[in-house]
Amino acid sequence: MEHYGHGYEPEPGLDEGSIVARAQDGDLRAFEYLVNSYQDRLFRLAYRMLNDRGDAEDVVQDALTASWRGLAMLQDVQAFGGWVYRLATNRCLDVLRKRSTRTEHITDPQDILSISMDGAGSDQLADPAYEAERTARDDSLTRVVNTLPPEQRACWLLREMHGRSYAEIGVTLKISPAAVRGRLARARIQIAEGMSEWR
Amino acid sequence: MALDDEPRLGCGRSIDRIWTTVDQPPNAHEQTCGQCQAARSRLRSLREATQSLRESDVHNTDLKPRSGVKSSIMDVARAEIRRSRRILLASNGNGTTEISEQALSAVIRLAAAEVHGIHARRCRIEIASASSDSSAGDRPSGYPGLVGSHLVIGLRVAVAPDINIPRTVESLRQRIITAVPAGVGISAGTVNLTVEDLYDV
Repeated sequence: MEHYGHGYEPEPGLDEGSIVARAQDGDLRAFEYLVNSYQDRLFRLAYRMLNDRGDAEDVVQDALTASWRGLAMLQDVQAFGGWVYRLATNRCLDVLRKRSTRTEHITDPQDILSISMDGAGSDQLADPAYEAERTARDDSLTRVVNTLPPEQRACWLLREMHGRSYAEIGVTLKISPAAVRGRLARARIQIAEGMSEWR
Repeated sequence: MALDDEPRLGCGRSIDRIWTTVDQPPNAHEQTCGQCQAARSRLRSLREATQSLRESDVHNTDLKPRSGVKSSIMDVARAEIRRSRRILLASNGNGTTEISEQALSAVIRLAAAEVHGIHARRCRIEIASASSDSSAGDRPSGYPGLVGSHLVIGLRVAVAPDINIPRTVESLRQRIITAVPAGVGISAGTVNLTVEDLYDV
């Protein structure tokens, strides 16, 4: 079995569209580059949606495996990023739907806490008091975000944590870009109020 | 209120509008409206908190999938890879030499990588039979494979926005016509090139 380094690039400076096109031709190195490039982002999205490492890893694995299987059908190579985000988001929403039809999923707050405290900003040599304040703020934000309904949370995470476009989020959630804008505005004010109550 | 109407504060001000202007000084209405002032201050804190969480998450080494996740994905990809066709390069009394379409594509892409301003994308290789082949007589002799047939290479490329496309694409064609016989010993035959995109430099 071959292994390539994390920083592997099929050719230095190659644009993502060309890498996607090569993966469509069955180039495993090109596909592996795409997996490296998207797996962490998709994991962060799935973890913030699901608050469960195992479920988030399953989503990443399912979404990227499905992207390999569907690659040949992808018409526009530039659309790859939006497409894998869509695959991952819809899987997250499926998991949440299944959970809600079973029993209420209990998230151990300790689990979330340890994730957001360990290693956060660990590459920065910052003032410990500032770091503690920052961590507390991150914590209260994620707590409030977790109270949003799943689709609204997806909307907020895709836009604010991942910088995806209104048009792309609209396609993912099957709503218009204007509706995305509306949902985001509502989510922001709700989160802002939730955080001010927290203080 | 319809679900997709623009959400507004009680004073009628659009929340989205407040969000996008939160870093600017308050306008005349916002200077006197208590609701707007409260919303501005909360949204400003939210903006900071959002940016902080985004940075923490990106740098948080715990917020990554286990390495097993990638291995599983790549195992599936390897197991399900479409086996490409093989092209006969040579045949004599001691046996045959074939090359997969994928390996030949790699030779073509390597050649393309040498041309400045070209990013090779999808590559298709067809084998045209002699009957439909008007250029068969032009093929150099001495290439023992593909007797009575020749390759039709279809390569799609993205180009840098600042290049002279006809000149660059012609030098790409010449590069491929030289590299294929040099690398694998058969003529490149027909080389059809399509510029499908401009890439950002």
